[in-house]
This record gives sequence, structure tokens and C-alpha cells, in this order.
Amino acid sequence: MLLVDIILPGLVLGGMYALIALGLTLQYGVARIMNLSYGESLVAAAFGAFSLYGGLGLSPLAALLLAVPVAMVLNWLLYRLLLERLMRRGKDRGAQEIDSILVTFGVLFVIQGAMLVAFGGQYYSYSYLSIPLTIMGSTLAVNRLVALLFAALVGGAVYLALTRTRIGTAVRAIAVDANAARLVGIDVAALSGLAFAFGGGLVAVGGVLISMFLTFNAAMGVVFTMKALVVIIMGGVGNVIGALVAGLLLGVVETAVARLVDPGLTLAATYALFLGVLVIKPTGLFGRAAS
Amino acid sequence: MTGPVRILLWCAGLALAACLVTYPLYANGYYLALGISVLYFTILATAWAMFSGPTRYISLATVAFFGLGAYTAAVLGETMPWPVVLLAAAGVGALTAAITGLSTLRLSGIYFVIFSFGLAELIRQLVIWYEVNIHKSVGRYLFSAVTQDVLYWQLLGLTAVVFLVGWMLGRSRYGLALRAIGADETAASHSGIDATRIKLGVFILSATFMAVTGAVMAPRWTYIDPAIAFNPTISFQVVIMALLGGAGSLFGPVLGVIPLVLLFEVLTATLPNHFSIVLGVIFVFIVMVLPNGVIGLFGAGRWRVPAGGPAAAPARAGDAPLLAVDGVSKSFSGLRAVDGVSFTVTPGEIIGIIGPNGSGKTTLLNTLSGALRPSSGTIRLGGIVLNGMRAHQIARLGLARTFQLVRVMPDLTVAENVAAAQLFSTTNGSGATASELLDLVGLGKLQETPASDLTYIDQKRLELARALALQPRLVLLDEWLAGLNPSELETGIALIAKLRDRGLTIIMVEHVMDAIRALCSHCIVMNAGSVIARGAPEAVLSDPKVVAAYLGGDDA
Repeated sequence: MLLVDIILPGLVLGGMYALIALGLTLQYGVARIMNLSYGESLVAAAFGAFSLYGGLGLSPLAALLLAVPVAMVLNWLLYRLLLERLMRRGKDRGAQEIDSILVTFGVLFVIQGAMLVAFGGQYYSYSYLSIPLTIMGSTLAVNRLVALLFAALVGGAVYLALTRTRIGTAVRAIAVDANAARLVGIDVAALSGLAFAFGGGLVAVGGVLISMFLTFNAAMGVVFTMKALVVIIMGGVGNVIGALVAGLLLGVVETAVARLVDPGLTLAATYALFLGVLVIKPTGLFGRAAS
Repeated sequence: MTGPVRILLWCAGLALAACLVTYPLYANGYYLALGISVLYFTILATAWAMFSGPTRYISLATVAFFGLGAYTAAVLGETMPWPVVLLAAAGVGALTAAITGLSTLRLSGIYFVIFSFGLAELIRQLVIWYEVNIHKSVGRYLFSAVTQDVLYWQLLGLTAVVFLVGWMLGRSRYGLALRAIGADETAASHSGIDATRIKLGVFILSATFMAVTGAVMAPRWTYIDPAIAFNPTISFQVVIMALLGGAGSLFGPVLGVIPLVLLFEVLTATLPNHFSIVLGVIFVFIVMVLPNGVIGLFGAGRWRVPAGGPAAAPARAGDAPLLAVDGVSKSFSGLRAVDGVSFTVTPGEIIGIIGPNGSGKTTLLNTLSGALRPSSGTIRLGGIVLNGMRAHQIARLGLARTFQLVRVMPDLTVAENVAAAQLFSTTNGSGATASELLDLVGLGKLQETPASDLTYIDQKRLELARALALQPRLVLLDEWLAGLNPSELETGIALIAKLRDRGLTIIMVEHVMDAIRALCSHCIVMNAGSVIARGAPEAVLSDPKVVAAYLGGDDA
């Protein structure tokens, strides 16, 4: 059935997008870093899972236990060594954003270059739990459902951590107003670093999960960054529920365009959707009205 | 500059030009190719900096326009004469920039970066889709009679044009306007600068150069496919080059182009596999260590616009109300911040708007100055309805304002801040010059100081001078006296009185009641969005409703 054929894979893909965007919104919304090397981190995690599976026979789900802490430490170091300096230097938020975009741009090339040296430009994939399963007349591989389940678990845990814990509340306070947060005794620098590292951990989860069912190569990180950005902007910066809805919407629209029009136009569709939202509601679907 | 030095410089310049023009005659294939690379990156980086330098809109869409130009050449190159091809490429680039710019340039910086980030990908996908589905083959061959020498000369000519246009732009009022927009877009709009149109115009100009460069370069490849024409690395390289050299000045980018083109050349020859790692490291290094580019190390100045020109014509006297506000309301979703406010202002008077914090005073001013659009009601300035006009149009009609949270254009000098407000003035009265205005507010000695270095009160003075530079009929002062110490307050009150005596009409939102008593002929008291009292200051301030609004009534 065509509709189910579109909706089901669309939701799986969209769930992934939402998870990836969640990490970026932590990095951008809280640490104020527009991290353009985000997609490269994702692909790096995918390559990590691929190597662990191929080399050691480690299941991708077990690989998560390794990939997430490593990604967190690396992201934390990136924040501490490079980005924090820019944050201190920037006169206003605009200058900070532009500087962080430019530096992470450089980081993008470094990561991408390293992956090209290690793996070359060809596409990779591996077969894990690729057992077909028929749901409502539509066939879906088990690995996709597992990925979706994990994405939901991780996303839900992050949401609860942000809304129900002390640290999560402090992190949200920074996202709203870093200066005011500082005034009420929140250690903004330390928590921003933590949020940045956490965002890095989330993208590693996304990369490992996506590697289970998508083919990937060293050069495709940019596409993921783009999509995560589109989701964040559509959902409203810093808005977790917005990112979820926008992610799912994007997944379904992409699948529909690939299925009904032309697979080569998925990015064009993403982009048209993005532009449409920006022109009509510049602060995102769920964003507040600008004052 | 003394005579002999000038002659020497001219000679050196001419010799350099001669060397550049005759370069293909003595350079062999490899060095000619290198020269071509330097030239085309010079054009791209200079064109990029023309728009992105002053506005700080980091555009990653260079290759979108470059690629479109190259593709236009590939499609038309064999059927049309070459000049027509170049013109067509320019047209395609300009048109695409106009369409994309119209929909995105009113968005703020970060969205623009992301937008341009994807624009090249989007256009590439569309071109691939078109080629696969309609043209039925992805690549195109372009056989043309253009030799490397001719290609070099075309690029050299284009380089000369891009520098000439950049120089003229920098000297024109649009150059200063563009920098004013980059420094503070809101303040620029309220100084009568049409930010959207100027940004769009320069964006189109810059994209046109990029597209023509693409067309000129197309014959170099013979075979063109989207992966070559829309190679995203080009956009990135252009950004690094311009930043390394310094995007804030005309000749900055070329200082980044030359070393980086040579470096990339060496890298592709020696470390082809690690090219992008090294590229990334250089990028990080430049941003961390050289935020203002190489040219910033020399402290090279930018174009300074001489302060001058007429300013501040006194208001024309007359009995008809200058400003008529009728039933103006402004709602933010559920909240009615301004609720059915009406009043009139006659020429030459000072009206005070007072009321507790949050009573809607600043929102009211924002609807008057065009920062916000009123939800209902009409606002007339000298009979012209202002509703729905944009801030710069209202400013040009002679309604100037200052901001509660002071907004100067930080990177511009004091004199340039004032000059920015005179750029698009439509009235050419014979009022004060910019320096007279600065003397008037007491900043006469600080004309060449960057506005960001001023103290708080001096920034407020500067804002007032900038407002006066519009030759306004009406000035809105939003808590202009707030935060001043007692002696500054006295000076401030005297200054406003002086402006009134010169015939200026003023609306002031203020909490300093001494100033209201001293200056205003008439007062409006707002509370919770509505006018609760109006009249002479003494009468109004003793009105029990007003006292209750400020201090809380018994039953409140």
C-alpha cells in the first residue's frame, strides 16, 4: 500500500532526523555553537560502528557503549580547546555565531579529510538485522525498527533529563539567556561545554543507528548537517518537541518525494520545505514571534 | 603625498599593470595556469567580500553562481557569440541572486549562512535532475576557440572591472549604507536606509561577477558536469581567502588569494590525499589567529566618508497637527500592549509620554517609527498615512528616533554614524552640517572615534545627532535621559530645550518627571496599553488615577 510505504519508512527516517537535530539543538541552543562539522561527526560514528562490526564482530548496539563516551570526550575537547576561546572573544551573539561557523567549517574539513584518507570516497554499508518484516502490507527491515526504538528511547531520556533534573533546568536556562543564567549562579562555561559534549554524544548515537540501515561515505556529512539545521530551524531553535515534529515531517516529505517524484530531488524538497517555513514563519513552526 | 613619490607610485603601478597584461607572453603553461587560478579566485573573493565584508552575511553560495555561469557557457557556448554568452551568464546569475535574495535577505544572519550553505547543493541537484531527465546526459562538452592566453586576459579585464566597481561602491553612499547595515541594521533602517533593497542590490552585483567568472572559466575544462561546475570546495576556498586577506576592505581579499592559491597548488602536488585536512587546519588557524585578516595587521583604514552635507532643518510652523495618532492598537498574540491610543502633536511642541514600566510606551513609539506594524488604527504624519510603511520610509519622511537601549553603529566612526543618516535624505534644506550637529550635542571633538568607544552618555548624544541628521520634522526620544547623572541630566534637559527653541517637534517617553515638567507642554499617561490621562504635566501628575497607576491604588 503506497501510503503505508511512504509513512512508515518516512517516520523511521524522520525519527533519526529528530534525534540528530536534538543533538545539534543542544550545541547551538545552549552552547551557542553552530557546529557545521556536525554531519561529519555523524559519519565518523557510522564508520566507527562499521569498523567495529566488520573487525571485531561487535554489534552496533554494543558499539554505542564505546562510541558515545568517545564522541563526548572529543566534543568536549573541541569546545574547551577551540570554541570557548571564540565565545569569549566574540563581542555579541552574532559575532560568536559567525566565528563558530567558520571554525567548525575548518573542523569539518579535518574530519572529512581524515575519513577520506582512512576509507576513501566509496560507499559503505553492512548487514545487521536486515530481516524483512511486513507491517500493514509494507515491508520494513528489522534494523530500521530497532534504530527507531533506540532513537525514541534516547530522545525520551534526553527530554526527561532536560525537563526533570537540576542540571537540565540549568542547561535550559542558559539556552534562554546565558547572562541571566550567570547571574543566578549557573556555571555557564562548564555547562555549555557539557551540553556541547552531550550534543556530540547524541550525534554519535545517530551515526551508529543510521549506519545499520543506510549506505554512507566519507563525503556525505554535509547532507546530514543540512538536514539537522533544517529540522532545528523549522522546529524553532531550542525547541525539543518542535525538532521532533519537524524531523518526522521532513522524513515523510523526503520519502514521499523520493517515492513519487524522483529520488534525486529529496534535498531539493528538503530545501523547498525549509524555505517555505522560513519565509512564512521565520522563527520556525513552533518558534515564538520575534519581538 | 609629495610629487616625486606620487610619480614613483604611478610608475610602479603602470609597470605592474604592464607585467600583468603581458604575463601570458612570457609565462609557460604551468605558470599561466597558476596566474589564471590567482585571477579567478581574486575576482570571486573580491566579489564575495563586496557583499559579505560589510554586511557580515557569510555566504557559502559562491559556487552556486559560479557554477550557473559555467553551465550557461556550456549550454550556449557553441551556438552564441561569446559576448552574448557572458551577458547571458551575468543575467542568469543576477536573476538567481534576485530570486533567492528576495526571499532570504530579510532573514537574519544565521539563517542566511545556512541558506547559502544549501543553495549550491540545491542548484546542483536541480541541474543534475534537469540534465538527466530532460537533456538525457549529465555532462556537456564545450569546444571553444578560447585559448589560455585569451582566457587569462578576459579574467584580467574582469578583475579590473571588479576592483573598479568595488572602489566606486565603497566611495558611493551605498558603501557607507552597507557598512551601517552591517553594524546595526535596525539603527540603519531608522536612519532612512532601505536595508533590504541595498543588501539585495549588492548581493545581485556580487553574484553577477561570480556567474561571469564561471562563464569565462568554462572553456578551461572542455568537459563540464555538475560535480565540476558546482564543486563546493570553491565556496569554502573563497571564504578562507577573503578572510585571510581581510574581507573588510577592497584589497584585503587579494592578499589572501595569492598565498593560498600557491599553497593549494603545492598541496595538491605533494599531499593530494591530505588536502582537505590541511585546508581545514588552515581555516581554523585563520579564524583563531587572524580574525581581521592580513590587512588587519597593517591597520589599513577603510573608506572614510567625509562628514559634511546639510542637516537638521527646523520644523515648518503651522497649525495643522504634525502627527495624528488615531485609535492605534498593537497586540502580541493575546496581549494588547497598546490599546486604542489617540493623540495629536502640533508643530513645535514637546509631548511627554509617561506611565509605569510595561504600560506600552515603547511599543507605541515602535508603531510610530515603523519598527512594529500597528494591529489597527491610523498614524498620519503631516497628512501622510504611515501605517504599513517600513522604518526607512518613515525615517525619510522626517520622523527620527532614538532607542531606549542605545543603538549606535559600533564599527563606524562618530562622524560616519551621522553621515549614514544623511545618505538618503530627501529634503535638501540648508541646515547644520554633520559637524555642526556633533558640536550641538557636544561630540565635536570625537568625530573620528569609533562609536563603540564612546561612553554611555556620549552614545546617547550620538544617537540624537544621528536622529537630527535626518532633518526630522518629528523626533521620538525613548528614555533619552534615563541613566544620566544629575549634572548630565541638566545638560540633557538644556539640550532638548534648545532643540525645541529651534522649532523641532519632539515626543519624549520619560521617567524623569523633572524633565517632563521642565520641557513638555502636554503629557499623555499610559497604563496597561491605554491612555488614562492627558493634559499639562502638573495637572496630570496630580491626577489620582495617575498616582494610582504608579504607586498602586487602594483597590488595585
